[in-house]
Amino acid sequence: MKSGNFIERSLFGMSSFLRESVFSDECALKKGFLQSLDPRAKIAGFFLLIIQTVLARDINTVFLLYSLCLLFIVFSKINLAFFLKRTWIFIPVFSLFIALPALLAPGEPLFSWKLPGITFVITRQGLGGAGIFVARVIACVSFAVALSLTTRHAALLKSLRVFKIPQVFIMILGMCYRYIYLFAEIIRDIYLAVKSRIGAGVEYRKGQELAAWNISALWERSVKTNEDVYRAMLSRGYRGEALAWEEFKIKARDYLWLLGVGLILWIA
Amino acid sequence: MDSVIFKANGVSYSYPGGLRALFRVDAAVNRGEKVGIIGANGSGKSTFLQLLDGLIFAESGEVSFCGRRLSEKEFEDPVFSAGFRRRVGFVFQNSEIQLFCPTAKEDILFGPLQLGLPREDTLRRVDRLVEILRIGNLLERAPYRLSIGEKRKIAIVSVLAINPEVLILDEPTAGLDPATSRSIIDLLLAENRAGKTIITATQDLHIVEEISDRVYVFGGEKTVVKSGTPEVILEDTSLLGANNLLHVHSHRHQGKAHVHPHAGIEHHLDDLG
Repeated sequence: MKSGNFIERSLFGMSSFLRESVFSDECALKKGFLQSLDPRAKIAGFFLLIIQTVLARDINTVFLLYSLCLLFIVFSKINLAFFLKRTWIFIPVFSLFIALPALLAPGEPLFSWKLPGITFVITRQGLGGAGIFVARVIACVSFAVALSLTTRHAALLKSLRVFKIPQVFIMILGMCYRYIYLFAEIIRDIYLAVKSRIGAGVEYRKGQELAAWNISALWERSVKTNEDVYRAMLSRGYRGEALAWEEFKIKARDYLWLLGVGLILWIA
Repeated sequence: MDSVIFKANGVSYSYPGGLRALFRVDAAVNRGEKVGIIGANGSGKSTFLQLLDGLIFAESGEVSFCGRRLSEKEFEDPVFSAGFRRRVGFVFQNSEIQLFCPTAKEDILFGPLQLGLPREDTLRRVDRLVEILRIGNLLERAPYRLSIGEKRKIAIVSVLAINPEVLILDEPTAGLDPATSRSIIDLLLAENRAGKTIITATQDLHIVEEISDRVYVFGGEKTVVKSGTPEVILEDTSLLGANNLLHVHSHRHQGKAHVHPHAGIEHHLDDLG
């Protein structure tokens, strides 16, 4: 939606981002390489690959691991351009502000420029350090995005038990995601209802009042929903201890995947 | 075996802040019976159902289940609590709050899992229900990706998966299209023929005769104003009109305008559209 004001664009953007990035299972339902793996084996494998990336001292090793990630993506039938767009959007957020000062680390000067009262010198050591840092971020973010894109949201949550995370925590996390979406939709509907009655142009002061009213109304609704959901859980036998229905099955392919990851770690 | 499964004696309940929700309600439900609870918005139907399900407790008077008074203290006993939840299932009016898991399938299996029901029996029962309601394609979907009718079906299956003796339903057909309503009513009738007790709160008078052997009418005073067979209740148009369950309007049939009482507002939706 291109037209509309800042609030409208933000609300609709938030809702569609949630729908497309967090809740979309479109990529996870494709019949590709990563999608065919047991989520637990996949999480364990990616976890090890990320650790290896972080520990790698040579930039070539990091690029080798990154290339491998892109190869996985191709074999998982995910559009490479879509994947690069999804990953590179995070790179400046995670690395740019940290990497820039590193360029100026002491060492052999490569470039320099002067501003009134200060001289910036980019050194070979600084460039190398910043380069490997950015490369690590690129590879780690890519592994994380590859995992989340190729694993259904629900399966990903369930698989967290691999790391001995308590089931009650996983359940709460799942419910948070579930109701964040519901509330995002409610906020959007409230905004549309207000807009339908008073038009698009809202005076600044009135807009603040409406926003404050929305926040309070949503808070009350979330408290009520919390009570109702708890009653719905009680009604079906919940007594404070969450249990999970185990359905995953480790197959030969999953062992091969873990073996392959082990081999990569050994070579790298 | 005593045939009375639920009994309410002079039950009153108020919400925090003192807003009265129920006032001296007397009612009884027999084993294997179909009981309809009708009343206008805010007449206390949902509150009464939550009292029957032991989710809230009477302020005065008492609700008993198979002769045992329902109270917070009783539900602190894990054996009683699990036994009660195993025997009584509740389908909420708002399916959104009943479907709290990441997928429909997990929601369906939540109850049996918490109650420790045998895995194979549960899966067999769920497969049968999924086939009857034709919802196999919905199982792996997240609740927010379901329509209202689909959510309602999943919510009902999530309770029937426990295979309770008593099924309490709060407005199970509200806002649904006719085909979905029909499939839900057919399922409820089949479960009743199989021996389950069905308690349904509704404003939809068209389904009352089918889903009730006995009807309780809740009035504006938050109490039962009349009970009886569906035939007796539905013929009492002055009672239904006085309790906002009927309205009189004029419309045309085969070119002739005439005036008569009507239940619900569904027939006006086309005019509004």
